Parts: sequence; structure tokens; C-alpha cells
Amino acid sequence: MPLENFAYSHTIGIASFLGRGFMNPVDMRLDSKGILFVLSRSNAANQDVRVSVQTLDSEYMYEFGRWGTDPGQTTQPTAIALDADDRVFVTDEFMHNVSIFDRDGKFIERWGEFGTGDGQFNRPSGIAFDSEGNVHIVDHLNARVQKLAPDGSFISSFGTFGTEAGQFNFPWGISVDAEDGIWIADWRNDRVQRFTPDGEFVSVLGSSGQNDGEFDRPSGVHVASDGAVFVVDWRNDRVQVFGQDGSHSETLVGDATLSKWSQEFLDVNPEQASWRDGAGLLEQEKLFWRPSAVETSEDGLVLIADSCRHRIQIYSRIPALASV
Amino acid sequence: MTTTAKKHKREDVAVMAHLLRRAGFGATCDQIDQYLDRGYEETVEYLLNPVAGKPEDEDLMDRYFIASVEARSVTHADPQWSWRLATSEKPLEEKIALFWHSLLAVGGIKLDHGLEMLTEIELFRRVGLGKFQTILSEISRNPGMMYWLDNQNSHKDAPNENYGRELLELFSMGIDDMGEGAYTEEDVKTAARAFTGWASKPTPPPFLLGPFPMEFRFDESDHDNNDKLFLGETGNFGGEEIIDIVVKQRATARFIAMRLYLFFVSDEPDNEEIERLTDIFQETDGDIRAILRSLFNSDHFKSEAVRFRKVKSPAELVFGTARLTDRFDIPDMDSSTLANQSMYMGQFLLNPPGVEGWHEGEEWVDSGSLIERINFAASELARVESPGVSRMVELVEQAGEALDPSEFVEACLDAMGSIDIDTDSKSVLIDHAAKRSSTETDGADRIVEMFQLIVSTPDYQYC
Repeated sequence: MPLENFAYSHTIGIASFLGRGFMNPVDMRLDSKGILFVLSRSNAANQDVRVSVQTLDSEYMYEFGRWGTDPGQTTQPTAIALDADDRVFVTDEFMHNVSIFDRDGKFIERWGEFGTGDGQFNRPSGIAFDSEGNVHIVDHLNARVQKLAPDGSFISSFGTFGTEAGQFNFPWGISVDAEDGIWIADWRNDRVQRFTPDGEFVSVLGSSGQNDGEFDRPSGVHVASDGAVFVVDWRNDRVQVFGQDGSHSETLVGDATLSKWSQEFLDVNPEQASWRDGAGLLEQEKLFWRPSAVETSEDGLVLIADSCRHRIQIYSRIPALASV
Repeated sequence: MTTTAKKHKREDVAVMAHLLRRAGFGATCDQIDQYLDRGYEETVEYLLNPVAGKPEDEDLMDRYFIASVEARSVTHADPQWSWRLATSEKPLEEKIALFWHSLLAVGGIKLDHGLEMLTEIELFRRVGLGKFQTILSEISRNPGMMYWLDNQNSHKDAPNENYGRELLELFSMGIDDMGEGAYTEEDVKTAARAFTGWASKPTPPPFLLGPFPMEFRFDESDHDNNDKLFLGETGNFGGEEIIDIVVKQRATARFIAMRLYLFFVSDEPDNEEIERLTDIFQETDGDIRAILRSLFNSDHFKSEAVRFRKVKSPAELVFGTARLTDRFDIPDMDSSTLANQSMYMGQFLLNPPGVEGWHEGEEWVDSGSLIERINFAASELARVESPGVSRMVELVEQAGEALDPSEFVEACLDAMGSIDIDTDSKSVLIDHAAKRSSTETDGADRIVEMFQLIVSTPDYQYC
């Protein structure tokens, strides 16, 4: 079905254990200059984790935060966010902490440890900043969202485990909208919940299922600056787009073409190109496989981390959607 | 006296524990208690009839180990099966998958497609307790198997004999000690002709985008449609007809009965029991569930003579011990690497060493693997904070405050799920217990130390 509000633009990425490319990219963010920071999760045992940095034109720059437990390393990284100074924050579910790097990848410090107390975590996942520079972290096995000041000191938290309004069941992604409202992908409850900046429950979006407005383990939520709400419907292999009122606008299922890096690989490996052509899977290649996060740019690009295909699919928004 | 021993007869506990070691990966004292409340035959039925469907925690496994969802390699796939082996509440479903994984072996390294290896294990879960005809039919359509045994290179004008040969020699009819089978070389060639055109669709290499699921492909134009003479029958046989004929053979019935006996009962074959199981195979058209039902309910299986007469495979030792600790409630780094422990002991899951699978029995243990086994088991039992070990300590403490050394050792063996060890090993443990009075060290430490000593005995290597 043709897209109404989006146009497919291009794809970045190739499966890669290090350097140029990604290995199960689970999250990504643009910095203030439009440079893309991609978090590769891989399997902890395979040690391919890292943050890789590149332009949207597929110019690879550098990587950092590779596998390990020492300061400056990550083991099971889950989410990434950049603050107003382009410092890079990475949550780690194995070490139960947040590692902080400068924009060049130089390690600064890390916050947190395993526990249930203030500032402690049990598998921290989604992370996002509000307009005041406070950081909100989904502390997912503690079924809560913690708010920390820019210096890492604890401010507040909300949420308990459960299925009622305001409760969480293995929450994952988070987005803070232009009014500092907080949106949580309540993963195992198959819904997205919206809260005030103080953590008061506002509304719920979605329920279990495969139809429009229904989710199967939503991993991510992203509210664009104009209010459009993107929900990453992880196990349905799609991204659904909604208005602020919860009205379903459109569904993206993937339209990938070969990335620049993939094309270069095939150009120098013609036998690989031949096998690919002969497999008859070119249509299937386009589709998302366990997408996990969305990022948007001020100039209307929508980036989707296509985690099991090791790439970022990029769409451009058709301006009419801005009115939703 | 432990809770279990109080509620149930000691012999009943021993027999139930034996069943759960063979039809699964062992059980805790409390689990044995629950199964005894259900009854032996009812437990056999429960194990033989697992509820179909994927586990409720599959989403968690996928979330925490996303690379295993699109597993490009065996090592990427391992965390998935490790989790199921360590936690599944359908233990026979996993045990029968392990059985077929070794008998209908596909090697992960050649295939280099972790996703397909997991698909094969799922196939065994789905049909592994069903009719042997179905199992052979499904594995013959398994794209990984077709690739592994080169059937994509088998053409009507130039049949490749690999699959036809292994189908008869290793998967169904078998050969005797002299290397002779109840089939001829011509039967092998005929089977190969019947399977021409059976192959897997090519998939792109995973270098760009990770793997794509493999699919079976039948190419009618590349299939030998001529009449064939196979095991005395003539017709325009395809692969399905070949399988139908193979499954009817007494040699096939006996081969499968033998393999089931060696896997589930004892490393030493008992010809009388194997003949009985062979008869059941033929009477039930190769119904694996019916054979196992009769096997588990037999006096022979329940007899003391076959208890602790099988060397634990590495997978049985690793996942049996892991289950004893009951420490895996959510997938984590530890659970994801359990398969590595099995590999260190000689069983690289999802990657059997060849088409013959693993050679089992005494061959599992050499001096190197024995040290790996003991170190792993002792380190697991040292996890006093784990729910399973903590509960076992509690059970020993409940057995009484003034146990003499012999009673103390017995209480520890009972608490670990009715483990039995021989007299010599027990004497050593009792002597050790006598030297370590309860005043020397904390009671829990003393108990855990005894658990560690028990898993370090030669006896713990048997199930």
C-alpha cells in the first residue's frame, strides 16, 4: 500500500562486527549537528556491542563503548540519548548503570548500580532528556521511571509493577515530548502510556493485537516536535504513527533498499551479489525485522532502527502530517 | 527425614526421581513431591503430552538476546536453547529434541545458519514424540538437513548418494557390528534417486543483512520419475514412499528401539527389552509416544538395575545441575552461556561433530572433561543464594539438628533430589562429615560443602 504521509528515503548500514556497520542496532540518536549515533546491542557473548558514529550520508566516523565491564565499556547496552551538550548517555542492562561519554567517545563517568534504591537500577533501558536537562530512565525490572538531575542526583520516580493505569510490565522505550510529557512503551502490557512531567498518568494508547492501534510488545515510542507519535510495534515488525489524540495515521513496515555500504560490498563481491539476486528475496529484504527505536530530525526525517537487519531505514515526512 | 521422604515411600521417591532424570533433566525435591502427588503413570502421561505452543517467556528471551532472534551462527543461537533447556516446564519436549538432535544430526558449522538450527530443534519439539514416519518425512524436508547432506547436489541425471545412505544407515535401519545393513548398496542408490529434486532454496549469505529463514524446495523437473526397486518393492517411488517402506522394516523398528533404550534407559543394551520395544514400534506404526509410554511404565525401567547406569551427557549434567539451583527466572548472561559449559565438556549443542551425532556413554568422560564437569557442578552448588540451593539447605536443616554423619549425608542426598551413590563414595562422605562437626563452621556452609562433595563424586556423573 502506498504511503500517504511518508516517502522512503534511504538506508544506512550493513551487518558488521566492528567499524563501519551495525550488529543489531537497538537505538540511535542524532546530535545537534545531525550526526547519527547508533547503538549496536548484538549478543553480549559475541562482544560486538558499540556506539558507532556516522553521517546520514553513510560517512563512517568512529566508534566507542565496545564490549567489557571497565569504565568506558558496555556489555548489554540498551538505549542511547544525547543531552544538550551532545554528551552521550548509554544504559547497560548487565551492569545496571548509565555510561556517559563526550561527543568524541571519551568516557566521562557512569552512574548507578544494581538495586532498588534511588539512583539504583535493575536493567535500565530507555533513556531521554527533558527541556531542563534532566534525564529520565526506564528502570525496567524495577517497573519504574527515574528522573535524575544533569549531575546524576536523584530527583523522583514513578511507577510500580502491574497492568493497571500507571503501572508497568517490563517497560522499554521512553520519549519526552515538547511539553516535557513522558511517554513509555509499556512493553509486556502491549501499550504506550502517557504521563505528565511529574509522572501523573494521562492516557493509554493501544492494546494487544495486530490491527491498527494494537501492539505486540512495543519496544519504542517517539514523539516528534510537531506531536506525531511513533510507536515501534516490535513483534509485529512495524512502526505505527498516531496523532496526539491517539488516532492512527499510518503504518510503516519497511521499504529498505541497499545501503551505500551494502552496495559497495556487493560491488567488490560479485558472487555475493549473484547469490542475493538468485535467492528471490528482494521484496522480503525491504521489511523490518524487529524494529526497536525511532528518531526524527527537525528537517522531517524519520529514522527507524531495524535491529535484526542491522540497518537504519530512513523516511522523509510529507508536511501534511505535521497538522495532526 | 526430608519433606519428600515423610510424605512418600522412599522407593517411590527413588523411582520418580529416576523417571525425571531420564525423561527430563532431573528434579528438585519439591518437584518430585509434586509429581508423586500426581502419581507415576499420570506423570508419565503429563511428560509425554506437553501442551503445544511456544513458552510464555519467549518474548523475554528475544528481547534480551536480540541477536539470537536472527541467529546467524550457532553461537548466536545457543542462548535460545540454553534458556529452554534450563527452564522449560516441558522437560521431555526438550529431552526428545536432544535425542533426535543427535540421531538425525545436522552440523551447525557446515550449515553456518543458527536460525535454521533453531528451526530444526523446534521441529523435533513439535513432532519428536509422534510417529517415526512423520519425523523422517519432516526431517527429509528440513532445508538444513538437505543442505547438510548435499542433497541440493543430487540431480536426476547424477544422484548424490549421501542422503539416501545416511537415511538407511544412520537414521533408520542401521548396520550391525560387521558394518552390514538389512539393505543393499542398490537400495542406497535407489533411495538417492527417489530423493532427487529435494533440496533447500538458496538464501543470501548473512553478510549484508543477517540470515533469512531457509525453505525446502522440491524441483519436479530434477526428480527421477522412473520406476525403482527398493527393499523388494517396485514403483515410481519418491522420497515419501521410500520413507514409508523404510518405516515398515523390522530393522528400522529395532534400530529406533535400540537408540531409545540407550538414550532413556541404560548405556548397556538389554536385548529382551529392546525386542519388546521393537514389537511395540511395529504394532503402533512407529509411535514414539507409545514406545516411551511402555518404556517408562515398564518394571525394567523402574528397576534398581538400570538406575544410575547412564553416563550423563554434558547437556544433562549442565542443565540438570542448573535446574537444581533454580536460579534462572529471567534470561541473563549466565543463562546464555550454559551451552558453552556443555561445549567445554564435549557437547557443542547445535553443532554435533558429524552425521553420526555424538558417541554417548562412557565416551563422554575423559580426564579433561571430568574436571570441567566437577568444577561446573561444584561452582553451581556453591550458589547458596540461589532459590534451589537455599531450599536444599533448608530441607537438610529440617531433617534434624543432631544428625549423625551418616544421617547428614543421607539428608543431603535426599535434598538434592533423591540422589544415590555407591557404598564406597558414601563412606568417604560420611568420614568427611564426621571430621567436620557442626561447630566448626556455619551449618549452611557445612551443608553446601557436602553438596559440592556429592557432585564431585563419580556417582554424580551418572543418571
